[in-house]
Amino acid sequence: MNRLLHIVRSRVRSILFRDRREDDLAEELRLHIEQQAEQWIAQGADPAEARQRAKREFGNLESLKEQSRDARGIAAWDAVVRDTRHAARRLLRDWRFSVPAVLLLGLGIGANTAIFSVVNAALFRPSPFAHPDRLVDIYQKDRNGAPGTNSYPAYLDMTTATGVFAHVMAASIPDGVRYRESGGPVRNGVAEYTTASYPVVLGVTPSLGRWFRADEDRQGVPVVAVIGYQAWTTHFAADPSVVGRTLYLQGAPVTIVGVGPQGYRGTLNLGVVTDFWLPVQSAPVLGGMPNVLARRPVEAVFFVKARLRDGVTVAQAQAAMEVLGRRLAAEYPDEDPGKGITVLPANDVRAHPQADTLLSVVASLLLGVVGLVLAIASSNLATLLLVRAAARTKEVSVRLAIGATRWQIVRHLLAESVLLSVAGGITGCVLAWWVLRSLRAFELPITLDFSLDTTVFGFALGLSLATGVLFGLAPALKATRLDLLSVIRDDGHGRVSARRWFTLRNALVAFQVTASVVLLSATGVFLQMIVEARAQRIGFAVDGVATIETDARYSGYTGTRAAVIYDELRRRIAALPGVDAAILLPEQPMEVTGVPVVIDDRVSDGRVVGAGNVWAGPGFFEVMQIPVLFGRALDERDRQGSSLVAVVTESMARQYFGDVNAVGRRFRLDQRPDWIEVVGVVRDTGTLDRGADLVDPRPQLFFRPFEQANLPPNTVVARTRGDDAALARDMQRVLLAMDPSLPVFSALTMTQRLEQSLIAPRAVASSLGALGVLGLVLAGVGLYAVIAFAVSRRTREIGIRMALGARSSDVLRDVARDVAVVLGAGAGIGLVFASLVILAMRAFARPAPGIAIYRPSLDPLQLGAIAVFIVAVGVAAAFIPARRAVRVSPISSLRQE
Amino acid sequence: MSDQTDLIQGTLDLLILRTLALEPMHGWAIAQRIQQISDELLKVQQGSLYPALHRLEHQGWITAEWGTSEANRKARFYSLTKAGRKQVALELSKWERLSAGVNLVLARTS
Repeated sequence: MNRLLHIVRSRVRSILFRDRREDDLAEELRLHIEQQAEQWIAQGADPAEARQRAKREFGNLESLKEQSRDARGIAAWDAVVRDTRHAARRLLRDWRFSVPAVLLLGLGIGANTAIFSVVNAALFRPSPFAHPDRLVDIYQKDRNGAPGTNSYPAYLDMTTATGVFAHVMAASIPDGVRYRESGGPVRNGVAEYTTASYPVVLGVTPSLGRWFRADEDRQGVPVVAVIGYQAWTTHFAADPSVVGRTLYLQGAPVTIVGVGPQGYRGTLNLGVVTDFWLPVQSAPVLGGMPNVLARRPVEAVFFVKARLRDGVTVAQAQAAMEVLGRRLAAEYPDEDPGKGITVLPANDVRAHPQADTLLSVVASLLLGVVGLVLAIASSNLATLLLVRAAARTKEVSVRLAIGATRWQIVRHLLAESVLLSVAGGITGCVLAWWVLRSLRAFELPITLDFSLDTTVFGFALGLSLATGVLFGLAPALKATRLDLLSVIRDDGHGRVSARRWFTLRNALVAFQVTASVVLLSATGVFLQMIVEARAQRIGFAVDGVATIETDARYSGYTGTRAAVIYDELRRRIAALPGVDAAILLPEQPMEVTGVPVVIDDRVSDGRVVGAGNVWAGPGFFEVMQIPVLFGRALDERDRQGSSLVAVVTESMARQYFGDVNAVGRRFRLDQRPDWIEVVGVVRDTGTLDRGADLVDPRPQLFFRPFEQANLPPNTVVARTRGDDAALARDMQRVLLAMDPSLPVFSALTMTQRLEQSLIAPRAVASSLGALGVLGLVLAGVGLYAVIAFAVSRRTREIGIRMALGARSSDVLRDVARDVAVVLGAGAGIGLVFASLVILAMRAFARPAPGIAIYRPSLDPLQLGAIAVFIVAVGVAAAFIPARRAVRVSPISSLRQE
Repeated sequence: MSDQTDLIQGTLDLLILRTLALEPMHGWAIAQRIQQISDELLKVQQGSLYPALHRLEHQGWITAEWGTSEANRKARFYSLTKAGRKQVALELSKWERLSAGVNLVLARTS
């Protein structure tokens, strides 16, 4: 062991201190010669002659140095350096080959690195908590007996299990919030509602200030908050005086008491960064969840984590929680239906036991898609290397003939491909970094932390090395497996090429064509979905309608003063020239929230069904031009305190009340006692979510006056006879004229709002499309390379045929036949796969009752067009080298070699 | 071909190690000493001496450092390491067995 260490050290020293060792050696040898000469001089020889003789006897100094170097074990290292240098020189000289190759690989590796950094953030980041092995996650089970989430009262019950837990904490599912520092812009952030025990359970400490105390986690006291480190540095310039400052969060004043730990992202550790930690007791008001602290499964939004008492095992904690579960089931038979409580080691859970599987499935899908692109890029590198190797057959055979070993040549070729792929990897990292940075430039409602850490760089490096070796080895081995004689005699050409290039290379290109067809077909599905979504019947007024969203609380207006401001704003907008009507709403018009409702059925009471809640108010149906079929529209009578009413759509009336005229019937929200009376029925209509409408074009909706739910308005909707874009601008002007400090969250036309709901499918379509086009470019390059290779190998044959009178069209047809086979096979397989994917999507369009996803149609015309397009691109790519073939002058081609 | 070199190499290694067991020496002195002791029967070629020295150094059996020779001139002195001392004994027994074997073969075939 010691000796091994010594050898390694001596070798490293030899490499590091090479120059010194070289000097030492030269000096030592010089002294040796001198000493020998002096001995002879002492014996009476002529000094000049003695020196000459000593030198002569010593022999070849340089070869002796070389042998000494070998003895020191730096020969292998020298060889690596030499190979690398040689390869770099060659690649620089052949930049026409290396630059595209590096770019191709860079694209492939860059896409992989970018996606991996997302997956890394979601799946591979280590636990941010101290001693995570002593931490457990506690979950109340859901209706199906699987781990769910916890209600706040259940959490309080868990804290009483002091025998097994040292400390227990609860944190809500992260929730989107808005906040504003006086005068500044209103920003979007992510907040967790949590307990004072948070830092002691998780072992995290605020980097500045302190965490909130238990006595600050009460209702009726001023709300305090801990701000996230990242929000503090990005939006507050890391100013320490932020502690003690008050800002408006969700419209309410909140005082900051501390800054979160540096580099800490939040309880979930999924890549989403938490900006605020707020006391649980502020959740009902700030979070807009009035019943969030109730003991009911629908309100259970809390994750519970606990630190085990010393010496307590997970099994003991589980046993204690089972006892608690049984007690809760006995005490609260309605709220806690007796499904029990699960305790899991925190290290076994990533986000949530039920989400983890989905998370890894999504991650694998993502990695699978980009992996496909990398496979294409790599197989292209292999093709290009094969082309290159083929062009160098003669060089390789000459080198083999004059005594180079096969291993030496393979090493040279490998050095080239590894160098290429590492350069590609670096390009890829730069590309990924640039993509992620430009993503960050968008003002997203949440902060995502997908930074490129060492894991990601390690991944990229590993990927490029593996690519270089794997895809470089085959061509290198192939290039050196030569029948020496025939190559040098130059008569083996036709045979070698004709037989071999039909296998590996063509399979690779065919695979690329297949991948492009599948990717572009998938893009087509999403484009088709967008087109259909745009084309479908809407059912409410769009042209001439514009909305503006604000929140008076951020400018300090509360209670009646806020109500006055909104009413004044509505009146002024209604008074604008050309405006027919203007109304107030608490959210965007036709925004739907799915809720479980109980229909007053008389036959079978208590039937729970799903329906969409839409907030409305007086004048709503007039502005939105939704015709009332039976009963009446909502009006001024329906205010806070009056009996609860709703207007339902035809579909809801027919399906849930069994009669299109449901006026006078009743329903109630699940788990709420108050009955709501149906006062009117309107024609079926679409919603603000075009994607959802596509799946369910006639949703069961009910419209309720928002005042009856005690919701403050924040949006004005108006309809004009004139230009809606101008109306949106005018509305903004009116608002700022009233009070310039009022924030404008958005001022958009209805058309723009509807288009926003298609952001997700549009994003998917454009990323798939980009991948598909990338794949197509790669396939084009691959085809070009293969045909160029084939043509270069057959120049002689083509020359002879032309000399014997073949016309250029004959030669071209010959090349075209090869291209057609490859393209046809690739496109054919691609079409089959694409059809299978679409059929699978159709089959899984209803994965569970109540859930529906878009059901694409199998459009042969579209698929055919995609295939034709790809084949056309392929033919074009092949045409360039093929044309070169027919332009070959017979004489020069025969002379060529 | 390689077998022959191995034998010579191995022998030279032994001779160098054995010589250095007496005292630290520089390259030229090692060659001289071997020549003297062997009554000029063995002549060490410089071409083999220095690679051998570097190989032994690389193996960790000898170390080298610059010093001043008896004639007050700069020289690179080699000395045995602890591992080298063990190696001398090992090489010696190996050599004894080899020469005994060779002698036996020669005696019985002559």
